[in-house]
Amino acid sequence: MPYFITEDCIGCTACAKTCPVLAITGAAKERHVVNIRRCVSCGVCGRVCPKNAVLDGHGNPCQSVPRPKWKKPVVDTARCSACGICVTWCRAEALRISFPTFRGDIHVFAELYQPNKCVGCSLCEENCPLGAIRMAEVIA
Amino acid sequence: MKTPTYALIDLNTRASSRYEIPESLYRRYIGGKTLGARLLYDLTPAGVDPLGQDAVVIVNTSPATGTGAPCSSRFNMTFKNVLTGGIASSNCGGQFGVLMKRAGYDGIILKGQSETPCVISIVDGRIEITDADELWGKDTEETQHAFPKIYGKLVIGPAGEHLVRYAAAVSGERVAGRCGAGAVLGAKKIKAIVAYGTKRPEIHDREKFAKYVDKWVRFLRGHPMTGESLPTYGSAGLVSKANATNALPTHNFKYGHFKDAHAVSGETLADKYLLRNSSCISCPIRCERRVEVDGKDVKGPEYETCGFFGPNIDAVSMENMIRLNYLCDSYGMDTISLASTLAFAMELKENGVADFGVSFGNSDNLADIVGKIARREGVYSDLANGSKWMSERYGGKEYAMHSKGLEMASYEPRRSVGMGLGYATSNRGGCHLNGGYLALLESVGVLSMDALSTSAKPAFTAFFQNALEAISAAGFCLFSAQSFVPAVLFKIGPHHPVTRAIGKIATHLGFGVRALLWMMPVLRFNSVFLFPHAEALRLVTGLPFYTGSFVRLGERGYNMERFYNYREGLTKADDSLPDRLTQTPQDPNNPKTVVRLDKMLPVYYRIRGWDKDGTPEKRTLRKLGVQA
Repeated sequence: MPYFITEDCIGCTACAKTCPVLAITGAAKERHVVNIRRCVSCGVCGRVCPKNAVLDGHGNPCQSVPRPKWKKPVVDTARCSACGICVTWCRAEALRISFPTFRGDIHVFAELYQPNKCVGCSLCEENCPLGAIRMAEVIA
Repeated sequence: MKTPTYALIDLNTRASSRYEIPESLYRRYIGGKTLGARLLYDLTPAGVDPLGQDAVVIVNTSPATGTGAPCSSRFNMTFKNVLTGGIASSNCGGQFGVLMKRAGYDGIILKGQSETPCVISIVDGRIEITDADELWGKDTEETQHAFPKIYGKLVIGPAGEHLVRYAAAVSGERVAGRCGAGAVLGAKKIKAIVAYGTKRPEIHDREKFAKYVDKWVRFLRGHPMTGESLPTYGSAGLVSKANATNALPTHNFKYGHFKDAHAVSGETLADKYLLRNSSCISCPIRCERRVEVDGKDVKGPEYETCGFFGPNIDAVSMENMIRLNYLCDSYGMDTISLASTLAFAMELKENGVADFGVSFGNSDNLADIVGKIARREGVYSDLANGSKWMSERYGGKEYAMHSKGLEMASYEPRRSVGMGLGYATSNRGGCHLNGGYLALLESVGVLSMDALSTSAKPAFTAFFQNALEAISAAGFCLFSAQSFVPAVLFKIGPHHPVTRAIGKIATHLGFGVRALLWMMPVLRFNSVFLFPHAEALRLVTGLPFYTGSFVRLGERGYNMERFYNYREGLTKADDSLPDRLTQTPQDPNNPKTVVRLDKMLPVYYRIRGWDKDGTPEKRTLRKLGVQA
């Protein structure tokens, strides 16, 4: 169920900037709109909205959450096959496939190399075919 | 049942509409190249010009594409072959297929011709066609950078714009290379097709599917071929194996052994140039190479490129090869057809027929010439037409290394005669993958059948052609099938008596394989060792796919493609190889080193259920459900 932005929106563009699938559009200082064809109900817009102007799929207003409390992906490196599906979903470019540790190393895996860019949308967790990614609060 | 939804795009009017695939077609052809062949047959009349107004191009995916199953990011392009006039299907592992599916379409059918360069964007199920004059003339890398990073792109380069007959379409770092996929898009003036969306593909039994994917990935990663050899050396690792069995085409297929093959092998590539390995989306094998040349991080060459820009033109420079590979991708050209045509031009010069400024042993000036071919400048316009056209113009048909018009891949058929039969009978021309890839059992794999014997080869060729067709149709990479040789044989090695004995026995198992082909409908089992694809397809679609019915799907597709070729006027005479392979022994002292097509073709036709002229018989087509 797609999310919805109410009249309380002040057009701060925070949601449009963080939306992991670019589903939110709107000019600055004007009410933003969610593209219902694209929204994946990840809830990131609700967490960043300073005015609590985002309703979730059931019509409940979302509460804003401070950024350090957002969950981040933790990769089970033994399970991960480095197939790269999570990387294709991550628009924030927080994930990548790790580099080999020595010449000829073939055991690579997905890694969170830019944790501060991660928006905690959990698309990587949902789409990992092997269940190798789990979202957790990471204490930096 | 959810059937695939295609988009029908008319470029004349720039209008698009939804095109639902009927359930009866979906059940029989599933998707990818088999469904593509059926649609192409139904939607085009006989004898259309592949680059003309009436030509149809189908870009489609398969049920498994983008589901997260191993090696399942493939999409397929089906169109009328620019080089052969028969059917063409080009399979690519780029991100376009996955993102087209996320955008809500399983395929697109392109009709008509645009007057001005255009870009088709399929975003969230909406299709828009916009002008792209500013992109026309740019290379594939620049063109892809013009779109958002998260989009899936399928673009052509200058070669496609200039209708080079073997131009390729590029998606990310991967290429739909063969048969002129770039040329047909260029003829329609489509510079790029981009897709983006967030829909997830439908899976019939999600839980069981997830468990099976887990099991399959573990199996692939534990297998010596897919878990060790391919990730370490890539497909280029086959160079030294082929060289050891004299199956590495050298000097335009004149010889089968190159004394400096080590310089262009996968081992040297891994030792000196490799930065890391990479992969298509959702692939645990990771055979793609990332290499460094001139301070740039570029895609490394595959086996075919190593063979053709190395031994086949007598060149030993790995750097030049990597540069040429990069250039071909950025111009959007097929390295196999281009390099084979260049080798033919070199031999023309050697024989004093024509001089294009290229000669054996020198790859330093090729970068310049490749650019001229891509832009069809002056005399190089001839080279852009492929080796069949060249041999008709300049002579030298006996050493123009193509079958039906499509240049052969880098396996020397005189040292793997089954591969020779595959090249000759392959529906899209001299293709190793469409031709059954018997070289893997004869000369480059761990298991070696008698490579010179014609015994059992027709049966094995027919079986593997069907199997590879089915794997492609289901949406998987063919490398995922490289694990079918038991891991234990890799551990004991190719020279162990047991491995040798199995190879020897296999050479005489023709009747066994023929019986197997006949028994297909009753083979109701699935195994992760043989065709894991069948089980994955069963779980994704909910249709009863087992090993037997899965290979039968491939047989149906193969006959459909053959039927299309028959309609377009390709006959038994086109199931041929150049005289160099069928008349001149590779080893002058061993008369057995020729491809005895005359011996194998009649048996092959009989196994396939085709008549003496290679036409599918009515009862065969009825049995397979191709024609009522």
